[in-house]
Amino acid sequence: MEPYEIAATAFGIIMLLFTTRELIRRRIGLLQYSLWMAVWVALILVGTVPQFYYALILVTQALGMLTPIHFVTTFSILALFAATYVLGKRIAELNEKVNKITQHIALMNTNNKKKKDRHS
Amino acid sequence: MRVVCIIPALNEETTIERIISEALKHCDTILVVDDNSEDRTAELSLQAGATVVRHILRLGTGGALSTGFAAALKTDYDVFLTMDGDGQHRPDEIPVVLDPIVKQEADVAIGSRFLKHPEAMPLLKRMGNRALSIATSLAIGTKITDSQSGFRAYRRQVLEYAVHRAWDYRWASEILVLATKGNFRIKEVPVKAVYLPKRQRGANIKDGFRILYSTIRGTREKEGFTQGKR
Repeated sequence: MEPYEIAATAFGIIMLLFTTRELIRRRIGLLQYSLWMAVWVALILVGTVPQFYYALILVTQALGMLTPIHFVTTFSILALFAATYVLGKRIAELNEKVNKITQHIALMNTNNKKKKDRHS
Repeated sequence: MRVVCIIPALNEETTIERIISEALKHCDTILVVDDNSEDRTAELSLQAGATVVRHILRLGTGGALSTGFAAALKTDYDVFLTMDGDGQHRPDEIPVVLDPIVKQEADVAIGSRFLKHPEAMPLLKRMGNRALSIATSLAIGTKITDSQSGFRAYRRQVLEYAVHRAWDYRWASEILVLATKGNFRIKEVPVKAVYLPKRQRGANIKDGFRILYSTIRGTREKEGFTQGKR
Protein backbone atom coordinates (compact mmCIF):
# COMPACT_ATOMS: atom_id res chain seq x y z
CA MET A 1 0.00 0.00 0.00
CA GLU A 2 1.20 3.49 -0.83
CA PRO A 3 1.39 6.05 2.03
CA TYR A 4 -1.53 8.05 0.62
CA GLU A 5 -3.65 4.88 0.52
CA ILE A 6 -2.89 4.17 4.19
CA ALA A 7 -3.68 7.79 5.14
CA ALA A 8 -6.94 7.80 3.16
CA THR A 9 -8.07 4.48 4.64
CA ALA A 10 -7.19 5.46 8.21
CA PHE A 11 -8.85 8.86 7.91
CA GLY A 12 -11.94 7.29 6.30
CA ILE A 13 -12.29 4.67 9.07
CA ILE A 14 -11.82 7.21 11.89
CA MET A 15 -14.36 9.58 10.39
CA LEU A 16 -16.80 6.73 9.70
CA LEU A 17 -16.66 5.67 13.35
CA PHE A 18 -16.94 9.27 14.54
CA THR A 19 -19.95 9.91 12.26
CA THR A 20 -21.63 6.70 13.44
CA ARG A 21 -21.09 7.75 17.07
CA GLU A 22 -22.71 11.12 16.30
CA LEU A 23 -25.73 9.32 14.81
CA ILE A 24 -26.03 7.05 17.86
CA ARG A 25 -25.86 10.12 20.13
CA ARG A 26 -28.53 11.73 17.92
CA ARG A 27 -26.39 14.74 17.13
CA ILE A 28 -26.93 14.29 13.39
CA GLY A 29 -29.90 13.10 11.34
CA LEU A 30 -30.13 10.08 9.10
CA LEU A 31 -29.90 12.13 5.90
CA GLN A 32 -26.74 13.88 7.04
CA TYR A 33 -25.33 10.53 8.20
CA SER A 34 -26.00 8.89 4.83
CA LEU A 35 -24.26 11.70 2.93
CA TRP A 36 -21.15 11.58 5.11
CA MET A 37 -21.09 7.79 5.06
CA ALA A 38 -21.01 7.85 1.26
CA VAL A 39 -17.98 10.16 1.44
CA TRP A 40 -16.11 8.05 4.01
CA VAL A 41 -16.85 4.75 2.25
CA ALA A 42 -15.62 6.22 -1.03
CA LEU A 43 -12.47 7.39 0.73
CA ILE A 44 -11.84 3.96 2.26
CA LEU A 45 -12.44 2.32 -1.14
CA VAL A 46 -9.95 4.65 -2.83
CA GLY A 47 -7.39 3.73 -0.14
CA THR A 48 -7.94 -0.03 -0.07
CA VAL A 49 -9.02 -0.69 -3.66
CA PRO A 50 -7.43 1.99 -5.87
CA GLN A 51 -8.93 0.27 -8.91
CA PHE A 52 -12.29 1.60 -7.65
CA TYR A 53 -11.22 5.06 -8.72
CA TYR A 54 -10.47 3.84 -12.26
CA ALA A 55 -13.82 2.05 -12.36
CA LEU A 56 -15.31 5.52 -12.28
CA ILE A 57 -14.06 5.97 -15.86
CA LEU A 58 -17.18 4.16 -17.08
CA VAL A 59 -19.41 6.59 -15.20
CA THR A 60 -17.44 9.65 -16.29
CA GLN A 61 -17.48 8.57 -19.93
CA ALA A 62 -21.23 8.00 -19.76
CA LEU A 63 -21.61 11.54 -18.42
CA GLY A 64 -19.36 12.94 -21.16
CA MET A 65 -16.51 13.85 -18.81
CA LEU A 66 -12.86 13.42 -19.70
CA THR A 67 -11.45 11.87 -16.52
CA PRO A 68 -12.71 10.64 -13.13
CA ILE A 69 -11.25 13.70 -11.45
CA HIS A 70 -13.68 15.87 -13.43
CA PHE A 71 -16.52 13.78 -12.06
CA VAL A 72 -15.24 13.98 -8.50
CA THR A 73 -14.58 17.74 -8.51
CA THR A 74 -17.83 18.64 -10.32
CA PHE A 75 -20.07 16.62 -8.04
CA SER A 76 -18.14 17.57 -4.93
CA ILE A 77 -18.65 21.25 -5.72
CA LEU A 78 -22.35 20.67 -6.42
CA ALA A 79 -22.69 18.76 -3.15
CA LEU A 80 -20.94 21.58 -1.28
CA PHE A 81 -23.26 24.19 -2.83
CA ALA A 82 -26.28 22.12 -1.76
CA ALA A 83 -24.84 21.69 1.75
CA THR A 84 -24.15 25.44 2.02
CA TYR A 85 -27.71 26.25 0.97
CA VAL A 86 -29.22 23.80 3.47
CA LEU A 87 -26.96 25.08 6.27
CA GLY A 88 -27.75 28.73 5.43
CA LYS A 89 -31.46 27.97 5.57
CA ARG A 90 -31.06 26.13 8.86
CA ILE A 91 -29.05 29.01 10.36
CA ALA A 92 -31.73 31.51 9.31
CA GLU A 93 -34.40 29.34 10.96
CA LEU A 94 -32.36 29.01 14.15
CA ASN A 95 -31.64 32.75 14.15
CA GLU A 96 -35.38 33.41 13.99
CA LYS A 97 -35.97 31.04 16.90
CA VAL A 98 -33.19 32.62 18.99
CA ASN A 99 -34.66 36.07 18.33
CA LYS A 100 -38.13 34.93 19.40
CA ILE A 101 -36.75 33.32 22.54
CA THR A 102 -34.80 36.53 23.36
CA GLN A 103 -37.98 38.55 22.94
CA HIS A 104 -40.01 36.09 25.02
CA ILE A 105 -37.46 36.17 27.87
CA ALA A 106 -37.38 39.98 27.82
CA LEU A 107 -41.17 40.19 28.09
CA MET A 108 -41.33 37.46 30.73
CA ASN A 109 -38.68 39.15 32.90
CA THR A 110 -40.53 42.47 32.69
CA ASN A 111 -43.83 40.80 33.71
CA ASN A 112 -42.16 39.00 36.61
CA LYS A 113 -40.56 42.24 37.78
CA LYS A 114 -43.90 44.05 37.65
CA LYS A 115 -45.54 41.28 39.71
CA LYS A 116 -42.69 41.39 42.23
CA ASP A 117 -42.99 45.18 42.54
CA ARG A 118 -46.73 44.89 43.12
CA HIS A 119 -46.24 42.36 45.93
CA SER A 120 -43.47 44.27 47.70
CA MET B 1 -56.06 59.50 24.95
CA ARG B 2 -53.24 57.70 26.79
CA VAL B 3 -49.84 57.61 25.15
CA VAL B 4 -46.96 55.20 25.67
CA CYS B 5 -43.57 56.19 24.28
CA ILE B 6 -41.42 53.28 23.12
CA ILE B 7 -37.68 53.93 22.84
CA PRO B 8 -35.41 51.25 21.36
CA ALA B 9 -31.99 51.88 22.88
CA LEU B 10 -28.48 50.59 22.39
CA ASN B 11 -25.62 52.11 24.38
CA GLU B 12 -27.39 55.43 24.92
CA GLU B 13 -26.20 56.28 28.45
CA THR B 14 -25.22 59.79 27.45
CA THR B 15 -28.66 60.80 26.18
CA ILE B 16 -31.32 58.43 27.52
CA GLU B 17 -32.05 60.17 30.85
CA ARG B 18 -32.64 63.53 29.20
CA ILE B 19 -34.82 61.98 26.48
CA ILE B 20 -36.94 60.15 29.06
CA SER B 21 -37.43 63.14 31.36
CA GLU B 22 -38.41 65.38 28.43
CA ALA B 23 -40.64 62.74 26.83
CA LEU B 24 -42.48 62.21 30.14
CA LYS B 25 -43.84 65.76 29.78
CA HIS B 26 -45.86 64.60 26.75
CA CYS B 27 -46.43 60.87 27.30
CA ASP B 28 -48.09 58.90 30.10
CA THR B 29 -45.37 56.31 30.30
CA ILE B 30 -42.02 55.50 28.74
CA LEU B 31 -40.98 52.02 27.71
CA VAL B 32 -37.30 51.59 26.93
CA VAL B 33 -36.29 48.44 25.07
CA ASP B 34 -32.63 47.96 25.88
CA ASP B 35 -31.13 45.95 23.02
CA ASN B 36 -28.41 44.38 25.16
CA SER B 37 -26.44 47.58 25.79
CA GLU B 38 -22.94 47.30 27.18
CA ASP B 39 -23.24 50.54 29.13
CA ARG B 40 -25.65 51.81 31.84
CA THR B 41 -28.58 52.52 29.50
CA ALA B 42 -30.96 50.17 31.35
CA GLU B 43 -30.08 51.43 34.87
CA LEU B 44 -30.27 55.08 33.90
CA SER B 45 -33.59 54.54 32.13
CA LEU B 46 -35.04 52.93 35.26
CA GLN B 47 -33.75 55.80 37.39
CA ALA B 48 -35.32 58.29 35.01
CA GLY B 49 -38.72 56.68 35.48
CA ALA B 50 -39.07 54.42 32.46
CA THR B 51 -40.14 50.81 32.33
CA VAL B 52 -37.25 48.80 30.88
CA VAL B 53 -37.52 45.65 28.80
CA ARG B 54 -34.08 44.14 28.35
CA HIS B 55 -32.90 41.80 25.58
CA ILE B 56 -30.31 39.23 26.58
CA LEU B 57 -29.04 39.26 23.00
CA ARG B 58 -28.86 42.08 20.47
CA LEU B 59 -31.74 41.85 18.00
CA GLY B 60 -31.57 45.13 16.10
CA THR B 61 -33.96 48.08 15.87
CA GLY B 62 -36.80 46.08 14.33
CA GLY B 63 -36.50 43.44 17.02
CA ALA B 64 -36.39 46.00 19.81
CA LEU B 65 -39.50 47.72 18.47
CA SER B 66 -41.28 44.42 18.04
CA THR B 67 -40.60 43.65 21.72
CA GLY B 68 -41.71 47.17 22.66
CA PHE B 69 -44.97 46.84 20.73
CA ALA B 70 -45.66 43.42 22.24
CA ALA B 71 -45.06 44.78 25.76
CA ALA B 72 -47.13 47.91 25.14
CA LEU B 73 -50.02 45.92 23.68
CA LYS B 74 -50.35 44.12 27.01
CA THR B 75 -51.31 47.46 28.53
CA ASP B 76 -54.36 49.59 27.75
CA TYR B 77 -52.68 52.57 26.09
CA ASP B 78 -54.41 54.04 23.03
CA VAL B 79 -51.47 55.56 21.18
CA PHE B 80 -47.96 54.19 20.75
CA LEU B 81 -45.22 56.69 20.01
CA THR B 82 -41.76 55.57 18.92
CA MET B 83 -38.58 57.63 18.96
CA ASP B 84 -34.83 57.08 19.03
CA GLY B 85 -32.84 57.12 22.23
CA ASP B 86 -29.76 58.79 20.77
CA GLY B 87 -31.21 62.29 20.76
CA GLN B 88 -31.86 62.44 17.01
CA HIS B 89 -35.55 63.08 17.66
CA ARG B 90 -36.53 66.03 19.79
CA PRO B 91 -38.97 65.19 22.62
CA ASP B 92 -40.46 68.71 22.40
CA GLU B 93 -41.78 67.70 18.95
CA ILE B 94 -43.78 64.77 20.35
CA PRO B 95 -47.02 66.85 20.31
CA VAL B 96 -46.42 67.57 16.60
CA VAL B 97 -46.21 63.84 15.81
CA LEU B 98 -49.22 63.03 18.01
CA ASP B 99 -51.34 65.81 16.50
CA PRO B 100 -52.79 63.90 13.48
CA ILE B 101 -53.77 61.02 15.77
CA VAL B 102 -55.37 63.29 18.36
CA LYS B 103 -57.28 65.17 15.64
CA GLN B 104 -58.40 61.81 14.15
CA GLU B 105 -56.77 62.71 10.83
CA ALA B 106 -54.58 59.61 10.67
CA ASP B 107 -53.93 56.21 12.21
CA VAL B 108 -50.18 56.40 11.63
CA ALA B 109 -48.28 59.68 11.93
CA ILE B 110 -44.71 59.91 10.69
CA GLY B 111 -42.31 62.63 11.76
CA SER B 112 -40.66 63.43 8.45
CA ARG B 113 -37.13 64.83 8.45
CA PHE B 114 -37.59 65.95 4.84
CA LEU B 115 -40.49 68.34 5.26
CA LYS B 116 -38.33 70.68 7.33
CA HIS B 117 -34.55 71.18 7.00
CA PRO B 118 -33.68 68.03 4.99
CA GLU B 119 -30.12 69.35 4.54
CA ALA B 120 -29.36 68.42 8.15
CA MET B 121 -29.15 64.75 7.14
CA PRO B 122 -25.80 63.56 5.76
CA LEU B 123 -25.86 63.50 1.92
CA LEU B 124 -25.43 59.75 1.40
CA LYS B 125 -28.14 58.93 3.93
CA ARG B 126 -30.40 61.56 2.37
CA MET B 127 -30.01 59.99 -1.09
CA GLY B 128 -30.63 56.47 0.19
CA ASN B 129 -33.59 57.62 2.23
CA ARG B 130 -35.11 59.39 -0.78
CA ALA B 131 -34.80 56.24 -2.91
CA LEU B 132 -36.41 54.06 -0.23
CA SER B 133 -39.16 56.61 0.35
CA ILE B 134 -39.99 56.60 -3.38
CA ALA B 135 -40.11 52.79 -3.39
CA THR B 136 -42.30 52.74 -0.27
CA SER B 137 -44.59 55.45 -1.72
CA LEU B 138 -45.07 53.36 -4.86
CA ALA B 139 -45.72 50.28 -2.75
CA ILE B 140 -48.40 51.88 -0.58
CA GLY B 141 -49.88 54.33 -3.08
CA THR B 142 -49.38 57.34 -0.79
CA LYS B 143 -46.57 59.88 -1.06
CA ILE B 144 -44.14 59.40 1.81
CA THR B 145 -41.08 61.62 2.11
CA ASP B 146 -39.40 59.81 5.00
CA SER B 147 -40.24 56.12 5.06
CA GLN B 148 -37.33 55.30 7.39
CA SER B 149 -38.21 57.72 10.16
CA GLY B 150 -38.44 56.11 13.59
CA PHE B 151 -40.29 59.09 15.04
CA ARG B 152 -43.87 57.88 14.66
CA ALA B 153 -47.20 57.55 16.40
CA TYR B 154 -49.61 54.66 15.89
CA ARG B 155 -53.14 54.15 16.94
CA ARG B 156 -53.39 50.92 18.95
CA GLN B 157 -55.50 49.18 16.30
CA VAL B 158 -52.71 49.58 13.72
CA LEU B 159 -50.21 47.59 15.76
CA GLU B 160 -52.77 44.97 16.67
CA TYR B 161 -53.18 44.42 12.93
CA ALA B 162 -49.72 45.08 11.48
CA VAL B 163 -47.24 42.67 13.01
CA HIS B 164 -43.87 43.33 11.45
CA ARG B 165 -41.42 40.45 11.08
CA ALA B 166 -38.15 42.23 10.29
CA TRP B 167 -35.55 42.35 13.06
CA ASP B 168 -33.46 45.01 11.31
CA TYR B 169 -34.17 48.37 9.61
CA ARG B 170 -36.73 46.83 7.24
CA TRP B 171 -39.41 47.24 9.90
CA ALA B 172 -39.98 50.89 8.93
CA SER B 173 -41.28 50.21 5.43
CA GLU B 174 -42.82 46.89 6.39
CA ILE B 175 -45.22 48.45 8.89
CA LEU B 176 -46.31 51.09 6.38
CA VAL B 177 -47.09 48.43 3.76
CA LEU B 178 -49.04 46.41 6.32
CA ALA B 179 -50.92 49.47 7.61
CA THR B 180 -51.94 50.33 4.05
CA LYS B 181 -53.20 46.79 3.51
CA GLY B 182 -55.31 47.25 6.62
CA ASN B 183 -56.74 50.49 5.18
CA PHE B 184 -55.21 52.62 7.94
CA ARG B 185 -54.51 56.28 7.16
CA ILE B 186 -50.92 57.51 7.11
CA LYS B 187 -49.92 61.15 7.49
CA GLU B 188 -46.56 62.88 7.69
CA VAL B 189 -45.73 65.88 9.83
CA PRO B 190 -42.51 67.92 9.68
CA VAL B 191 -39.92 67.38 12.39
CA LYS B 192 -36.38 68.51 12.82
CA ALA B 193 -33.77 65.82 13.40
CA VAL B 194 -30.53 66.38 15.24
CA TYR B 195 -27.41 64.72 13.81
CA LEU B 196 -24.45 64.50 16.13
CA PRO B 197 -21.27 64.14 14.04
CA LYS B 198 -19.74 61.38 16.15
CA ARG B 199 -22.94 59.40 16.55
CA GLN B 200 -24.04 58.64 13.04
CA ARG B 201 -25.70 55.27 13.04
CA GLY B 202 -28.53 53.90 11.00
CA ALA B 203 -29.06 51.84 7.90
CA ASN B 204 -26.15 51.35 5.51
CA ILE B 205 -26.17 50.57 1.76
CA LYS B 206 -26.64 46.83 2.38
CA ASP B 207 -29.63 47.58 4.62
CA GLY B 208 -30.96 49.88 1.89
CA PHE B 209 -31.04 47.07 -0.68
CA ARG B 210 -32.63 44.71 1.83
CA ILE B 211 -35.35 47.28 2.63
CA LEU B 212 -35.97 47.82 -1.09
CA TYR B 213 -36.25 44.10 -1.76
CA SER B 214 -38.54 43.40 1.18
CA THR B 215 -40.78 46.38 0.29
CA ILE B 216 -41.26 45.10 -3.27
CA ARG B 217 -41.76 41.55 -2.03
CA GLY B 218 -44.19 42.60 0.70
CA THR B 219 -46.30 44.52 -1.79
CA ARG B 220 -46.44 41.58 -4.18
CA GLU B 221 -47.55 39.11 -1.52
CA LYS B 222 -51.33 38.90 -1.27
CA GLU B 223 -51.35 38.62 2.51
CA GLY B 224 -48.46 40.96 3.14
CA PHE B 225 -45.51 40.16 5.36
CA THR B 226 -47.44 38.77 8.32
CA GLN B 227 -50.79 39.73 9.65
CA GLY B 228 -52.71 38.65 12.68
CA LYS B 229 -52.45 38.56 16.41
CA ARG B 230 -49.15 38.96 18.19
